[in-house]
Amino acid sequence: MNDVTQLIDGLSNEEKKVLKKLSQQGGGPASVSSLEDEGLSSVAINRAALGLEAKSLISVEEKTKTHIFVTPSGKELQKDVPERTVGRAVLEQGNSEAFLDELDVDKKTSGIALGWLRKRGWATITKEEGRVKIMLTQDGIDELSSPSWIQQALTQIEDATMGIDDLSPDQLSVLKGRKAVETKEERTRSLSLTKKGIVVASHDLLIREEVTQITPELLRDEAWRSCEIKRFNVEAPVRRIYGGKKQPYLAFLDGIKQRLVALGFTEMRGPLIESEFWNFDALFQPQNHPARDWTDTYRLICPSHGHLPPEDVVAAVKSSHERAWRYTWQHERATTLMPRAHGTCLSARQLFQGIDVPGKYFSIARCFRPDVLDKTHLVEFNQIEGIICDPSLTFRNLLGILKQFAREIAGAEDVRFYPDYYPFTEPSVQMSAKHHDLGWVEFGGAGIFRKELTEPLGVDIPVIAWGLGVDRLAMFKLGIDDIRYLFSDDIQWLRDEEMI
Amino acid sequence: MPTIDVSLKDVSRLLGTTVTAEEFDDLVLFAKGEVDDVNGDEVKVDLKDTNRPDLWSTEGIVRQLRGIAGTHRGLPSYPIEESDVRVIADPALRNVRPYCVNAVVTGLSIDTAFLSQIIQLQEKIALTFGRKRREVAVGIIDYDKITPPIHYKATSPSENAFVPLGFDRPMTPAEILREHPKGIEYRHLVEGSDVYPLLIDSKGVVLTMPPIINSEHTGKVSTETKNIFIDVTGHDLETLKVALNVIVAAFSERGGTVHGVTVEYEDGPVKVPDLTPRTFTLEKDYVNTTLGIMLEDDELIEVLEKMRFDAKVAGNALTVSYLPYRNDIMHANDVVEDIAIGYDYNTMEPVVPQLFTTGRTLPLTTTINTARELMIGLGFQEITSFTLSSNETLFDRMRLERPGDVVEIENPVSLSWAVLRNWITPSLISFLSKNTHRDYPQNIFEISEVVSIDETKETMVDSRYKLACALCHSSTNFTKVKEALDAFMRNIGITYDVVAREHPSFLDGRSGAVLVDGAPVGIIGEMHPEVITAWGIEMPISTFELELERLLE
Repeated sequence: MNDVTQLIDGLSNEEKKVLKKLSQQGGGPASVSSLEDEGLSSVAINRAALGLEAKSLISVEEKTKTHIFVTPSGKELQKDVPERTVGRAVLEQGNSEAFLDELDVDKKTSGIALGWLRKRGWATITKEEGRVKIMLTQDGIDELSSPSWIQQALTQIEDATMGIDDLSPDQLSVLKGRKAVETKEERTRSLSLTKKGIVVASHDLLIREEVTQITPELLRDEAWRSCEIKRFNVEAPVRRIYGGKKQPYLAFLDGIKQRLVALGFTEMRGPLIESEFWNFDALFQPQNHPARDWTDTYRLICPSHGHLPPEDVVAAVKSSHERAWRYTWQHERATTLMPRAHGTCLSARQLFQGIDVPGKYFSIARCFRPDVLDKTHLVEFNQIEGIICDPSLTFRNLLGILKQFAREIAGAEDVRFYPDYYPFTEPSVQMSAKHHDLGWVEFGGAGIFRKELTEPLGVDIPVIAWGLGVDRLAMFKLGIDDIRYLFSDDIQWLRDEEMI
Repeated sequence: MPTIDVSLKDVSRLLGTTVTAEEFDDLVLFAKGEVDDVNGDEVKVDLKDTNRPDLWSTEGIVRQLRGIAGTHRGLPSYPIEESDVRVIADPALRNVRPYCVNAVVTGLSIDTAFLSQIIQLQEKIALTFGRKRREVAVGIIDYDKITPPIHYKATSPSENAFVPLGFDRPMTPAEILREHPKGIEYRHLVEGSDVYPLLIDSKGVVLTMPPIINSEHTGKVSTETKNIFIDVTGHDLETLKVALNVIVAAFSERGGTVHGVTVEYEDGPVKVPDLTPRTFTLEKDYVNTTLGIMLEDDELIEVLEKMRFDAKVAGNALTVSYLPYRNDIMHANDVVEDIAIGYDYNTMEPVVPQLFTTGRTLPLTTTINTARELMIGLGFQEITSFTLSSNETLFDRMRLERPGDVVEIENPVSLSWAVLRNWITPSLISFLSKNTHRDYPQNIFEISEVVSIDETKETMVDSRYKLACALCHSSTNFTKVKEALDAFMRNIGITYDVVAREHPSFLDGRSGAVLVDGAPVGIIGEMHPEVITAWGIEMPISTFELELERLLE
């Protein structure tokens, strides 16, 4: 008994109303439409039926019924079947054959009729001297003398004296083919009280006023206490909304920035447009080095040349080049401007501006190289790199710092080192790290800056320069195999991308 | 970084032991190489060191691997036979291509693998080490078809016609520069001079017209060739000697006998090739402190010999000898690196440096992050787009005249990426245009660097961060975006005014300038319908863009 009371408490007003109505109708079966009234829409009944069925208070039987309707063109056909009109007109000429142009039939009718006359085998159509000739067959003459089943059927369908089941499949397909009828499926539900439902319905199902939205008014005068708060289907799906959030790739880079700061690195910044001096010369890359050639870097139309730093550092760089590379260093060439091609120019600028000892610096720098945008190339990319400065630094420290990056940033314990070459470091090394999911990934490179680079910039202690390649890591983290998504222009991808 | 092809069979034969692709992959690291691709016997190797042309051939790699394998240690021996072959250099070439060095190699038996290495080495030296033939050009001539002495002489463009490689008729130097594909490709290296360089023998047979093209008759090496004459031309004698040494060392590895040549210059004769060992002395302690390991004298010497140096230690002085097919040893670190490679990077225990430093981001990064949080809190989705853009995006489609002073790329890959943007709003509109089939509202923002010309700056360009946002949904308008601006400005504690100001990108009467202390710091407005429809969007857009970095300064 307690169970029943609890069950009733858990019923919505709609469910109670449906139970009551069903009970009034002898427990059903009753169609949804028979239960409708002013206070109970079919939507509400259907919604209540789902809940009641789940509580085993009613059983629901679904039936599908196909209705047939006469279409507007069916109504035309009901008045007049074109092949009959034309057939009769031929017979009116007194013979079983006639030329089309002799008949008193409008063009639209005759246009439709010729095809059907032929198709139904009522006539053969020929052309004589450009004129269309109709010769009725015996079948045609017989059919024309009897009433049209099409017209009869359409009339009966419209009167609702004929249903879809009264038509043969052939007849139905002819009518559908002539677009004379349309069918529509209707699903009907009929509801019946279960035994349990009969018991529940026999109780007093009190219907209280239902409130959908709690309002300030209801709260203020405590009116909410006396009303029924509509029960929501908390399991129902909801509309998707999208709040603001970080761009996933930038969020990934934020994380790297945080790791580097935690490791004691200070962020550096430099201009997007650099002179070749900082981009190449200060990094000990000779002016006739193939990598400085036109196809590998951008140049600017406007502005094309900039200024150089103070004369003493320029002179020191010039003499460092000329001594080592045996060519005449060109001042003008060094002033050529370009969007920076790598982040190492920031390190060179930092060395020149002055460093702390010990010092650790990093930057995540937007860089530019002439690549075509595709699945594996970007027109711009972010390069993560930096320097560590201290008199005590050794090559094993360089390996140590790379290994630390692998652990802290890629979560990799196993690393392998390979000899490598950069024009500005010696010794140089490249590292692969064994990532949990990606396997061996080229992850970073490093080296000890050449003295020919550091000394002209006024630094006489070892400087380790390092760079990290995190794009593959980012792509893995973001679950993408197309690098363009790092700069995605698909708002849905940005909205759907998980942030953790 | 040159990429070369080698044959594993060829490598195995020269090494005297069979090398598989996997073994080669591990070994070639010692030559700073990385296997790029394996196709049966053919292996593509990236050689990373652009200053080590001696490694850019099968012969050079094998030389290094013999040291690693331990079959050959220390300095290789490449004897040079004396000869009376002379090359006479014409002083008139002083201003076009002054230097030429040469050698003769005899007793060669050239198979196809060797032949392809000869051609490849010659190309790689000229391309990378020789800066696309400008600094170094190499010619290999069939020695049996020429008669010394050889003249490196200045020819007028219209004399000394010869049949260039790949052609069947004699052409004058001028015709070659005009018509021959190599002439067209490399003529900028000699144009402007009234004489061109030519190597011609004592009987008037042309060998080559450096740095352009060899003669069809003498300058074609095949598997029939037994004896060769090498010519290396350029501007710096020392650089040319290195290139020549690289080539003769490779021929020596193949069993050829190298003969010296005397090149007679105006100021005296030069005997080449010269493979006398060079020495470099550094402090032993420096090696150990730089690497962070403790190598005993015999260990140091062993590692160096493995890397094909000779070495001796006297007290703290470590003296290494090397053959001058290398000229990359400019500093002690260049030797230290070879020691580290020979010792093997992966046998050294990495040590994290114990340096206490306080890490910090730029103050700007902190404030940018605050601005991002505020915009996200106001419901905007963050986006990031490229700094590179186009005149069409930045101006045409925004109903703006193209200004004369944008930062523009001279050699863009595509016109879509030819201008560095001076404002971000067009990138946001472009973004919205890609998402017209997605659910609205689409409220987005971006904080990025933009550039503008500023002659007070060292690089003539000011790059600074801006904030731009766009509201795009059926009921957005000026008021909605001003509400967002107002919320943002209140939260960063900046008092501002918006004053009416017309702007072609926005609707008249619905756009304004954002002022702080009377100075303009941004624009705000409801996007002009012509802008919206030019982007194929059918939804109102309102935006603001602020000089974020200047505001926060």
